[in-house]
Amino acid sequence: MTRTPELIDILVECATPVRRLRPPLVRAGLWLAFAGLILALVAIGHGVRTDLAARLHEPTFAASIAAALATGILAAMAAFAISLPDRSRWWLLLPLPALAVWIATIGYGCFVDWVSIGPDGIRLGEELPCLALLVLTGVPLAIALAAMLRHAALLRGGAVAMMGGLAVAAITATALSLVHDHDASVMILVWNLGTAALITGAGCLFGRRIFRWP
Amino acid sequence: MFARPSRRRSSLTLVASSVGAARVGGGERNGNRARDWSGLMARAQDGDRRAYRALLEDMAPYLRVLAARCFKAPGDVEDAVQDVLLTVHAVRHTYDPGRPFGPWLVAIANRRIIDRLRRQMRDRSREIELTAEHETFSPHPANLRFDETSADEVALHAAIEHLPPDQRQAIRLLKLKEMSLKEAALASGRSVSALKVATHRAIKSLRKILREPSDTP
Repeated sequence: MTRTPELIDILVECATPVRRLRPPLVRAGLWLAFAGLILALVAIGHGVRTDLAARLHEPTFAASIAAALATGILAAMAAFAISLPDRSRWWLLLPLPALAVWIATIGYGCFVDWVSIGPDGIRLGEELPCLALLVLTGVPLAIALAAMLRHAALLRGGAVAMMGGLAVAAITATALSLVHDHDASVMILVWNLGTAALITGAGCLFGRRIFRWP
Repeated sequence: MFARPSRRRSSLTLVASSVGAARVGGGERNGNRARDWSGLMARAQDGDRRAYRALLEDMAPYLRVLAARCFKAPGDVEDAVQDVLLTVHAVRHTYDPGRPFGPWLVAIANRRIIDRLRRQMRDRSREIELTAEHETFSPHPANLRFDETSADEVALHAAIEHLPPDQRQAIRLLKLKEMSLKEAALASGRSVSALKVATHRAIKSLRKILREPSDTP
């Protein structure tokens, strides 16, 4: 085992200049801008749903989409804030009210319909394009967020991963609500938070070995 | 799931806030130190190695005090301090010089100490520490090597007794008393080559005698 003075020598040897992180809310804003870009690309590529104007007049739909967007924005702010060691853990509560409203307004949607079992056996449901859209939207957002928050693995890895997963899920759900006819919120939530839980678990089990986390 | 850093943080007012600590009565020296730490880290972020060394060397005793609250063994305390230093090094870019250094450092230290405590608890739940009694009375062959009543040794001595006299003498002198061939030749009055032949035959006979019981089921 290296002695502490020797370790300090080694650390000083490796002390190259580092670029300080920007304030967390600025970084959250940058990620949200990227999310906005993805949303715009999806809307251009796929086209906005035909009945959007009519649906936006429905209070439930409007509340759902607003709550999902608010959840995404607030969860991203919380994720960037708590990724820093000296920020309060109370930030974790920030997206909860919006999340409660969102969950209260979402239906089952694709969750029950993306695979259907009929007389012909299991066949892919009508919502497979929705799944593809979900992956196209969610994956770049998740990768960008993971890259921006990778330092948090040493500090509050689990909490940051869950907040990040929630942010990606909410933004993806907003995108899908704008361009797709069915409500896929539950599926998106389960997928994103499930993936976040999976990554967190894998990180706990193998992170030390693979990334040489202390 | 989470620890409560607030209690620990409150007991570390000397580094809790660069501004606040300086205001507290009697905390002027500590306040200066806190200001120093913040400034040193800012310089370290810009690549100033001397400032970084000063900061790490200054921090280590405080971290040792923090770790000593949770660990008894000096080795564990030192490991925890090194864990914290490594993490501080890895995430030093997350420190904002505009904010107090104390909460940043204490949060990292708490996180690492709690992680180490958890790991230690997990290890302890799986492992049983061996005591001196375990090592002394464990029926491991290594512990019984010098036991004269060992079954193998008794069998070997009995087998040696069954050897013809010249072979028995050769084995005793060369193997049991570990004499050299010259010494054995002098002691027995026999030639070196006679002793070599006798030893070779004795070992062959012993192998035969000792194998016999196990060969007959």
